[in-house]
Amino acid sequence: MLRHVLHRLAQSAVVLLVMSFVVYALLGLMPGDPVDLMLAAMPDVTAEDARRLRRLYGLDRPLLERYANWLVAAVQGDLGFSRLHGRPVAEVLWQPLGNTVLLLSVSLAVALAVALPLGMLAALRPRSGFDYAVNLLAFAGISMPVFWLGLMLMTLFSVILGWLPAGGVAPIGGGGLGDRLSHLVLPVATLSVAAIGQHIRYMRGAMIETLRHDWIRTARAKGAGWGRVVLRHGLRNAMIPVVTILALDLGTLFSGALITETVFAYPGMGKLIYDAVMGNDYNLALVGLLLATALTLLGNVLADVAYGWLDPRIRQR
Amino acid sequence: MAAPTQPEPAAMRTPRQWLALLALAVAVLGAPPVAEPAAAARDRLVIGITQFPSTLHPAIDSMMAKTYVLRMALRPVTAFDHDWKLVCVLCTELPSFENGMAEIEALPDGGEGAAVTYRLHPEATWGDGTPVTSADVVFTWEAGRHPQSGFAAMETYNRITGIDVLDDKTFTVHFDRVTFDYNAFGIDLLPAHIERERFEADPAAYRNRTAYVTEPDHPGLYFGPYRIVEVASGSHLVLRRNPTWYGPEPAFETVVVRAVENTSALEANLLSGQIDYIAGELGLSIDQALAFERRHGDRFRVEYKPGLIYEHIDLDLGHPALADARVRQALMHGMDRETISRQLFDGRQPVAHSNVNPLDWVHAEDVPTYAHDPARAAALLDEAGWRMGAGGLRRDAAGTPLRVTLMTTAGNRIRELVAQVLQSQWRAIGVEVRVVNQPPRVLFGDTLTRRRFDGMVMFAWISSPEAVPRTTLHSESIPTPENGWAGQNYTGYASADMDALIDAIERELDRDKRAALWRRLQHLYATDLPALPLYFRADAFVMPAWLKGVRPTGHQYPSSMWVEEWRAAE
Amino acid sequence: MRLAPPANAPVRLAFRRFRRHRLAVASLALLVVIAALAALAPAIQAALGLDPEAVDLLNRLAPPSPAHPLGTDELGRDVLARLLDGGRVSLAVGLATALVAAALGTLVGLVAGYRGGALDALLMRLTDGVIALPLLPLLIVLAAVDPAKLGVPADLYRSEIAGVVRLVVIIGLVGWTTVARLVRASTLSVREREFVLAALAAGAGPGRIMFRHILPNVTTPIIVATTLSVGNIILLESALSFLGLGVQPPLASWGNMLTGALELIWTAPALAVWPGAMIFLTVLAFNFVGDGLQDALDPKAGQQGRR
Repeated sequence: MLRHVLHRLAQSAVVLLVMSFVVYALLGLMPGDPVDLMLAAMPDVTAEDARRLRRLYGLDRPLLERYANWLVAAVQGDLGFSRLHGRPVAEVLWQPLGNTVLLLSVSLAVALAVALPLGMLAALRPRSGFDYAVNLLAFAGISMPVFWLGLMLMTLFSVILGWLPAGGVAPIGGGGLGDRLSHLVLPVATLSVAAIGQHIRYMRGAMIETLRHDWIRTARAKGAGWGRVVLRHGLRNAMIPVVTILALDLGTLFSGALITETVFAYPGMGKLIYDAVMGNDYNLALVGLLLATALTLLGNVLADVAYGWLDPRIRQR
Repeated sequence: MAAPTQPEPAAMRTPRQWLALLALAVAVLGAPPVAEPAAAARDRLVIGITQFPSTLHPAIDSMMAKTYVLRMALRPVTAFDHDWKLVCVLCTELPSFENGMAEIEALPDGGEGAAVTYRLHPEATWGDGTPVTSADVVFTWEAGRHPQSGFAAMETYNRITGIDVLDDKTFTVHFDRVTFDYNAFGIDLLPAHIERERFEADPAAYRNRTAYVTEPDHPGLYFGPYRIVEVASGSHLVLRRNPTWYGPEPAFETVVVRAVENTSALEANLLSGQIDYIAGELGLSIDQALAFERRHGDRFRVEYKPGLIYEHIDLDLGHPALADARVRQALMHGMDRETISRQLFDGRQPVAHSNVNPLDWVHAEDVPTYAHDPARAAALLDEAGWRMGAGGLRRDAAGTPLRVTLMTTAGNRIRELVAQVLQSQWRAIGVEVRVVNQPPRVLFGDTLTRRRFDGMVMFAWISSPEAVPRTTLHSESIPTPENGWAGQNYTGYASADMDALIDAIERELDRDKRAALWRRLQHLYATDLPALPLYFRADAFVMPAWLKGVRPTGHQYPSSMWVEEWRAAE
Repeated sequence: MRLAPPANAPVRLAFRRFRRHRLAVASLALLVVIAALAALAPAIQAALGLDPEAVDLLNRLAPPSPAHPLGTDELGRDVLARLLDGGRVSLAVGLATALVAAALGTLVGLVAGYRGGALDALLMRLTDGVIALPLLPLLIVLAAVDPAKLGVPADLYRSEIAGVVRLVVIIGLVGWTTVARLVRASTLSVREREFVLAALAAGAGPGRIMFRHILPNVTTPIIVATTLSVGNIILLESALSFLGLGVQPPLASWGNMLTGALELIWTAPALAVWPGAMIFLTVLAFNFVGDGLQDALDPKAGQQGRR
């Protein structure tokens, strides 16, 4: 198992390395460079200033050389400087990363807490009215534009009802745990709706499949209670495909987080990356993207571990 | 999925009902929202803006969000006031040739330079108790002219040939030329006692090591009415009263500047009481503000200030059709700018007849104007050889259709809308316009700077009062590969008359003579039409009824420079 | 060569099964209507005397009237006419992108599954890598890439339609993974079947075997995954529009109409309701149809979670 995890981690590292070059090259293909943007913003920058600044930022070197320099520095822990935030990239990333991990994990927890029981109950009574309603709900959830949902929720709960804050992570000056949680409610609700829909579908499908197996019937015949059979045997086995898909869906969830963060002015990784790309902040965009990728890859490895834990056959390998 | 057991019509109704519910929720927005937070001793003001400032260093990079925040904590030596007059801010008396604090001196190369003496406010003190002195001026200049410091605009500093320190608070600046704005000294001082060491250790790394980056909450970096005490990157900044401030005490103990990019969300934050006030400099678009005022005019006051934001269309003067001045004039006559201004902006954004704002003292009344006149436009186009052909599209003798691309910034909804209106109005005079929008970073970072547009680009210039259009109209400011794409004369406009006028205006010290030159410049601009003037943009300041003392300026020095005048009054 | 098993009977069976899924049938009907409306948009606009591009500044944000069945937008343009135009673009983007992604995915899946070995391992690692990527941030970077730096002539990429083509290409470039995995899995099981072995023995080349013999037998997962992806792509386009990177005005798409309307949500909520409802219903319908197809074509897999 340990070897397996190590193997996966090594694989992830290779993916990250390839990714770093691809993104670096892509950023080089973006129109203009940071100095061009500066030129447009400041009327009194002269031709000489432009040349000087390009040299200063190393923009006059060929792509491969710049990438090699960047990689060497990055491996030594120097991730460069964010033009947009005027601070070292490593420093800028820290807090948004925490905010996004919080948003993602709470949303995922909420989504699972809602979706798993619903999916399971629907699977127990396939083709019933309840099953039908849950399905409709699930499909509705995955068919809504996230930004639209976010703005609607904000309109309803912040502006009309005034129950919840319309954005940010906390009131100015920190605030208590309760304040932080109240700022989390709307973004989490927005982000988890689609995930709920998705996971209801997965859970329901996996559960129906599992309950059809012979050994479930055998367990039942042996006199075990239905509830016990479902929970102990059915759920555990149904979780295996669900967990796999969960990991694969992390990338999708992150995309949703980007939109959610933009709507709620929630300072997270998604918004950070978006702003960095739009503002020609190469260093930040690059590291941000890599970090987001690393996050999803890590999620995949974790899912692998959970998979092994759920499926004894893999554990013994 | 299993076959449904419920009848199909119900299935199709459910999502619709649900949608209708949300639609209803939106529709009842007109209803009075919940009570705002208790008015208990307003000692905090939360300002909403649409952009988060990048570096807080005053001289590296430039963006409105940074200027807006820094003006509460730092003050330039001189600036323009609400009446668009140059005034002393950090200095005590504006130097002039008349009061003897400025004089013309001979330069070694035989030319003329200016020696201008400033006196800093005697009580100006950095937040850590160190006085603001001439040493800070000298350091700022030294850092600014260092080729590796990373300051964006070295030109400002390079024009200074030397600084004499007369005493702690008095210094004389030697400029290498005599211009009409010889006494303007708009730079921000840097605290030498904190920054000099960091700069001298490694000038090339200074831009990353400055305390404005590493310790932006250091009290010694600010001397204004407020100092920055907390920076939550991408989210908000907190400013607190600065005890060493020498001016009148500001009313609010704390000012918070919060960035919310999405303007609908910004509005929601205002209505839900999370922010108190949306700054006009970086706030709602004009039509959003107008709509907001109609709904919430009872709780909020909306002030509009047309300013030095000049919306116009830069033309590619190398384009076969646009190279002809008659075609450009025809395009002017083809637009109905009055109706656009009235219908889209409630008349709050005045139509522009040249590049100079009517509120600027050098504005001339008698420049040629172009009323909406399709007949005149048609005549001009006929004259230029573009005859009406099949399908209502004009063609030249060779049969080439009159087709132009109009580009503007994607995501700026007002511009996108205006572009579509113009497209439809020009269509009526037989000109086919293709609208192509690009994100601002592409448009400004590449298409414009490298002159890679083919036809027209709609955008705005923001400037200061009596700003000489050297960078936008002088033939030496045409960006080329040879000059590293510097300069902002994107149209490629080259006119010996215009060059001469710009040179002359800069050196003319006599106000009346200068006004006459400015008149000629505007005349030439409105005749040659290197760009098509549209209107002057108005900023919309959305304030709660209790907020008093906020006075929009309409130019590059934001209202926050007078933050100490703001107060809460029920 | 007629070694592939006859496909008539299963199709009829599948059709019968699909018909049992009433929501899918209703959704399919809805999609047919929407597609017809979009395809016939110019004719409908002409018949009703509506011009989607006619600006009328004196008649902005008008309520529904006989002249404008759904009212007018902030420039006085007819909302119904714009909605029809937007539907054309949104559906075209959704379908074209889904097809591009399916073609790419099929190719990768076929080659990986048939060839096996190191090539298979490489392609599948690539697929895993792309799946792990956070899609939207990557799309933002891709959308920002300058075509000129790739050697595309300015005339091409600056035309109005180029923005649409660009969207199709970049979403297609990252959206092929699902199909690739499904096709590979099916190929693995099909390639050992008798008719493939027989073709091999008859001297058919790998290209012929892959496309003539294997491909017809792995179409089920392709059809299901592609149908489901159309809805997702329409959603993705609206999200990109929200970020300012989708279809650019004046070309209308449901996504950019909704985004534009959200800025006026407080003044004219109805403007947001129409494109919002169209996106929601269309995406919902594609999802239901995909679900129904899955049940019909692959009843066993249909009970499982899918990816």
